[in-house]
Amino acid sequence: MLTFILRRLLISVVLLFLISIISFFIITLTPGSPYPWGELNPKITPQVKEAFKKKFHLDRPLHEQYWLNMRDLFSGRLKSIKDDRPVLQRIAERLPATISLNVLAIVLSLTFGLLLGVYAAKHAGRLPDVLTSILAFIFIALPGFWISNLVVIGLVKFTNAPLLGTQTYGIDFPNLLALWLDRFWHIALPATVLSIGGIAAQSRFIRASMIETMREDYIRTAFAKGLAQETVFYKHALRNSIRPLITGIGGLLPGLIGGSIIIETIFAYPGLGRLGYEAVLERDYPTLVALNFIVAALVLLGNLISDVLYAVVDPRVHLE
Amino acid sequence: MDTSLSCATVIRSFIYGLPALLLTLIAVAFVSVSLLSTKKKNEMSIGTLGEPSTLNPIQHADAAAGEVLAVIFNGLLKYDANLEITTDLAKSFTLTQTTTVFFADTNAALTALLKLQSEKSRWQEWKLNSASIREQSLILELGEPGMDVSRKIVSLFDATTLAPLHIVRVDLQEKAAETLEAFRGTSAGSRIIREWTESSAAFEVTVTGDADSFLKELEKFLSTKADLKARAAMVQTDQFLAEPEVVFSLRDDVRWHDGKPFTSRDVAFTYRAIMDDATASPRKPDFLYILRLETPDAHTVRVVYRKPYSPALSSWMIGILPAHILEGKPPEWWAVNFNRNPVGTGPFRFDKWKTNEYLRVTRNPDYFNAPGPWLDSMVFRVLPDQLALRLAFETRQVDFWSVDPWAVGHFEKDKRFDLFSSPSSSYTYVGWNLRRDIFQDERVRRALAHAVNVPEMIKYILYGHGVQSTGIFTPKMWFFDPNVHPFAYDPEKARQLLAEAGWKPGKDGILEKDGQRFSFTLITNNGNEIRRDIATLVQDDLKKLGIEVNIELYEWAVFLKNFINKGSFDAMVLGWALGPDYDQYQIWHSSQSNPEQLNVVKYNNPEVDKLLVGIREEYRREKIIELAGLMQTTIYRDQPYLFLYVPEGTSVMWKDSYRIHRPGGRGEWVDTPVEMTKAGWGYYTDWFYRPEYADLLPK
Repeated sequence: MLTFILRRLLISVVLLFLISIISFFIITLTPGSPYPWGELNPKITPQVKEAFKKKFHLDRPLHEQYWLNMRDLFSGRLKSIKDDRPVLQRIAERLPATISLNVLAIVLSLTFGLLLGVYAAKHAGRLPDVLTSILAFIFIALPGFWISNLVVIGLVKFTNAPLLGTQTYGIDFPNLLALWLDRFWHIALPATVLSIGGIAAQSRFIRASMIETMREDYIRTAFAKGLAQETVFYKHALRNSIRPLITGIGGLLPGLIGGSIIIETIFAYPGLGRLGYEAVLERDYPTLVALNFIVAALVLLGNLISDVLYAVVDPRVHLE
Repeated sequence: MDTSLSCATVIRSFIYGLPALLLTLIAVAFVSVSLLSTKKKNEMSIGTLGEPSTLNPIQHADAAAGEVLAVIFNGLLKYDANLEITTDLAKSFTLTQTTTVFFADTNAALTALLKLQSEKSRWQEWKLNSASIREQSLILELGEPGMDVSRKIVSLFDATTLAPLHIVRVDLQEKAAETLEAFRGTSAGSRIIREWTESSAAFEVTVTGDADSFLKELEKFLSTKADLKARAAMVQTDQFLAEPEVVFSLRDDVRWHDGKPFTSRDVAFTYRAIMDDATASPRKPDFLYILRLETPDAHTVRVVYRKPYSPALSSWMIGILPAHILEGKPPEWWAVNFNRNPVGTGPFRFDKWKTNEYLRVTRNPDYFNAPGPWLDSMVFRVLPDQLALRLAFETRQVDFWSVDPWAVGHFEKDKRFDLFSSPSSSYTYVGWNLRRDIFQDERVRRALAHAVNVPEMIKYILYGHGVQSTGIFTPKMWFFDPNVHPFAYDPEKARQLLAEAGWKPGKDGILEKDGQRFSFTLITNNGNEIRRDIATLVQDDLKKLGIEVNIELYEWAVFLKNFINKGSFDAMVLGWALGPDYDQYQIWHSSQSNPEQLNVVKYNNPEVDKLLVGIREEYRREKIIELAGLMQTTIYRDQPYLFLYVPEGTSVMWKDSYRIHRPGGRGEWVDTPVEMTKAGWGYYTDWFYRPEYADLLPK
């Protein structure tokens, strides 16, 4: 297992290097320029443009820019074109908001996915199953931004609940509980919308896996031995059915910090997704380079963790 | 048996219980936030689109930062409610000029002085305060900067006795100051009468007498420093040196937010910081005309300019930086410390910046315009787009919102809101690329102006919220000429003009001239629906005259890179959003039509070129109005653009959420509802108050 992990890590480093090259060129070859003052500004002279280019190495050939960016990234000196601050600092200050949103979204999609999947499997073929299935497919098919917009319009029209950012502004909170509930609400709202697709997909996985397990010989044996329906279902079948759920956790890792551009933008939530989105619009190359690198590394790491977890929960799998 | 059943029960209750728990929590949170009191803090909340880049007045270039900086920092000058220059940190300022005329010898200078003495009666008209002689030069002290009077005076003297001045510019790789220092030691170097270092990569020197020998010696000297790759060139020859001077006397009652007094040292430091390459200030071009800046005492700043350049005065609206905090600190330190935690002199102190969420500033009790501001704090909410801004407004999380034209009607009908409208300082146009043969004839361009129904465009695209543009300036600028009349929609006149220019209908109904069809491509950027609609209306109107227009849309970056910056297009729809600045050299001067420059349509009119240069040298208000009017009239007549409209900006506020309580002119207090000024609804921010907190106002 150790050799497997080492070999995979080695391959990942090579892959990461290739990904960084490709993503760097895609980023920098996109038309547009990172001028903070806009392109058509009569107040800006060529000298100012030149000085700006020089400061951020934009006057060098692309391969040199790549090298300089990578060097600065690893030494922690890489600075954003937008505000001249270290990119890693800009990313780090978004982490608390991003992680709390995504952890809640993941918890919601796992718990509700499990609930709906088990419920559907238990009533397989009957009306509750059909209804949850239809609902699941609808939610898988509906785009997240559309659901978010509906939620937003509904809340604005029919309630006076605030929805943007991470807390309500301009008022005094009566007590600490109200403050914390307000904060929680501002995370829960986007997290709910973010998790809807996950809940639907998760419930389908669990249901399929559950129904398959229920057909296994050992389940029949358990029934034959006279075990209670509940015991067989929840204790013996469920344990073997949640394997996809556990191994899927590795795949969630990049999502944990990757964030969602659309949901964060709609709810004006200060997460990493918006940082990345705004960096694209502003052509903030250093920020994009760092973000791409981190997300790519997390995807590779997540895959590795998934594979390892698979071997841990399923004794039939051996990694070599 | 029992144990495994209870185990199943535990698992089951876990599966059902956990979601139920979460659901309950969310429901409780929802109820809690819905019941939150609506009693607002004494705080103004403003939505900004996008995150400010930096809170440094000399380094920012984005509108979002500008909004926040306006309440934290002050300049020496500012715009008043009518967009005219007035004082801020400066108590007052005076404008004078020293003109120096060089002569071949002292005798000639004396003769000139005598000539001048004989014209003493005209001194007052010239605003000439004194004239004196130093060595071979005549020094004139004028009470008003500008070139006109100096030229008039110099024309009185015998031209053959004048020693012309030459300005030589040296561009090099680095070490400009050191190189200049070394050169001054040479024999040619001793001839320098004025020097100026632009940056580490350029300096300029002024000499009199024989320019060729000086240039030769300079080149010889530079060739000894081969590694600098220096190039010397003569940039200008003149009859005299005109050096305007602005003296600011500063307020002595201003304190920085940390309690330290504000002095002339801060102004001098700000100037040096702007000029320093390390700060990479995009505002540097505004300050390049300064020859030197002196601080005779703690509350006086003297700025001497290299030549008359009146737009430079408004550059002193730039926020002044605190020298006692920043002096000696490297720009990297600024970026992570000061620029995220600024200290200014303004009505509000910086409090907190939560990235991509909000910036908060709190009342400065020590503000020099005390007792204001009335608000305890202001919050700038960083929102990603117009939709979020609108949601924030509707949920009362921001107090103001600027409404799109199509939505104005909806808000006007709604009794819950107050609306303020005023013409914006931007205009939208169709630019004809004058590099193309079909647009060369000005009769054709005038025909196009008659052919497009602009009033209809305003009616259907702006829902009536705009006025027809009559040229390069917008109506709320003080130098705008209201006597320029817009081209009327008159297809008959258009047809007639086109026929005069030789365009006849061809076989397919499209106009033709010398075998060329009148067909062109109109481009604009994708994602701007208004510009797309304009293109469609232009296409439709011109089709009626037998002109074929093909519309193409491109993504903004591609649109600029492949078409606008290269000047390779037929016609385009674009807009300008310009400050109240009469200097439009970069947009209209014929020298500015190279790739990446802003005269993208390659407009070339020597008469306008002269006006553009002349207005920069002019300080007299009525003259500026005259020249600006002439410029506006001439360019509008030439129609290099089809000037379309100046849209109206409309802001909406929840009814009665603010009022204004401000000092009137004569020591009394004026209490008014929020009102729109030429400078926007937010001009009196210092004096905004919430009616529910009216008891905070002075009795």
